[in-house]
Amino acid sequence: METNQVSEHLQVIRTLMERSALYRRELAPVMLSTGTLGVAAAAIGLELHLESMGAFAGLWLCTAAVAVAGAFLIARRQAFKDHESFWSPPTRRVAHALLPPLLAGMCLGLTLAWVGLANPVILTFTWLLFYGCALHAAGFFIPRGMKLFGWVFVGLACTSLMFLAIVPLKVVVSAHWLMGFFFGVLHLACGAYLRLTARRNSAA
Amino acid sequence: MNPEPFLQLDRVIHEKGRLAIMSMLAASPELSFTELRDTLGMTDGNLTTHIRTLQEAGYVSVTKSYQNRRPLTTCSLTVRGRKSFSEYVNLLEQIVRQNRAT
Repeated sequence: METNQVSEHLQVIRTLMERSALYRRELAPVMLSTGTLGVAAAAIGLELHLESMGAFAGLWLCTAAVAVAGAFLIARRQAFKDHESFWSPPTRRVAHALLPPLLAGMCLGLTLAWVGLANPVILTFTWLLFYGCALHAAGFFIPRGMKLFGWVFVGLACTSLMFLAIVPLKVVVSAHWLMGFFFGVLHLACGAYLRLTARRNSAA
Repeated sequence: MNPEPFLQLDRVIHEKGRLAIMSMLAASPELSFTELRDTLGMTDGNLTTHIRTLQEAGYVSVTKSYQNRRPLTTCSLTVRGRKSFSEYVNLLEQIVRQNRAT
C-alpha cells in the first residue's frame, strides 16, 4: 500500500463521516409547503386587514406553528417511506441548530412589539434576521445551499433594518406583503429550484 | 519504507466496503440499513454480508425493531468497534506522517 493510497483512504473516511452526519431528506416539499402557507397567510392578513400589532403577530405565529408542524409531518412521512427512523441523529442536529435562533427571534420580536419599540415592519425584519440565522446554522448539517439561503435572509434583513434606521421613511406598504414575499415567495422559489435541480441530478 | 505499520492494519476494517460502513457509523450514533445502503450505493446482499462480518468481529451491533408496523434495522458501532476504528485511523495517519518525514 502506497502513501498516497493511505492518504486517499483517510480522505474517503473523512468524506463518509461528513456525509453520515448530514440531513438527507428531500427539502423541496418542505419549502413548497412553507411557501404556500406564507403566501396564503399574507393573503388572509391583507384580506382581513389584520394590521394591528397583536393581529399581525398572532396570524404569523400561527402560520409559523402550522409550517413547523407541516415540515415535521413531511419529514416523518419521508422517513417512514424510506424505512428509516424519523428522529435520527441528523434530524436531531438540524432541530437543535434551528431552535435557538427561532426561539430568540420570536421572543425578541414579541418583546420589542410589547414595549412599543417595533411595528409590524420592524417585527418582520427582526424575524427575517433570526430566521436567516436559523437556516444558516442548520445549513451546516444540510447539503444543497441552505447556508446561502440563510445568508440571503440575513443580508436582506440587515440591509432593510439599517435602511429604515438611517432614512426616516414612512413605510406605507403593509407588512403582510413583506412577510408574503420573504416567507412565501422566496420559499416557493427555493422549493422550485430544489425540485428542478433534484430531478436534473437524478436524471444525470 | 517501514512495512511494520501496514502489517498492523486491522484486516476486518481494511476492506473498502467495510471501511465505508465503519466510517459512516463512526460519525453517527446509529444508522438504518437503508441509509447505509443508499449512501454507499451497495446492494442489500453486499451490505448484509459486510455487516455480518463486522458483527462477527464484534465491531457492529444490529437492532431490529418495528416503526409504524414496518421492520426497521439499525446498525451502530460497539465500544470495541469504535476503539478498533480509532486505532485503524491513527495507524493510517502514522503511516502518512512517517512517510512525509522520510
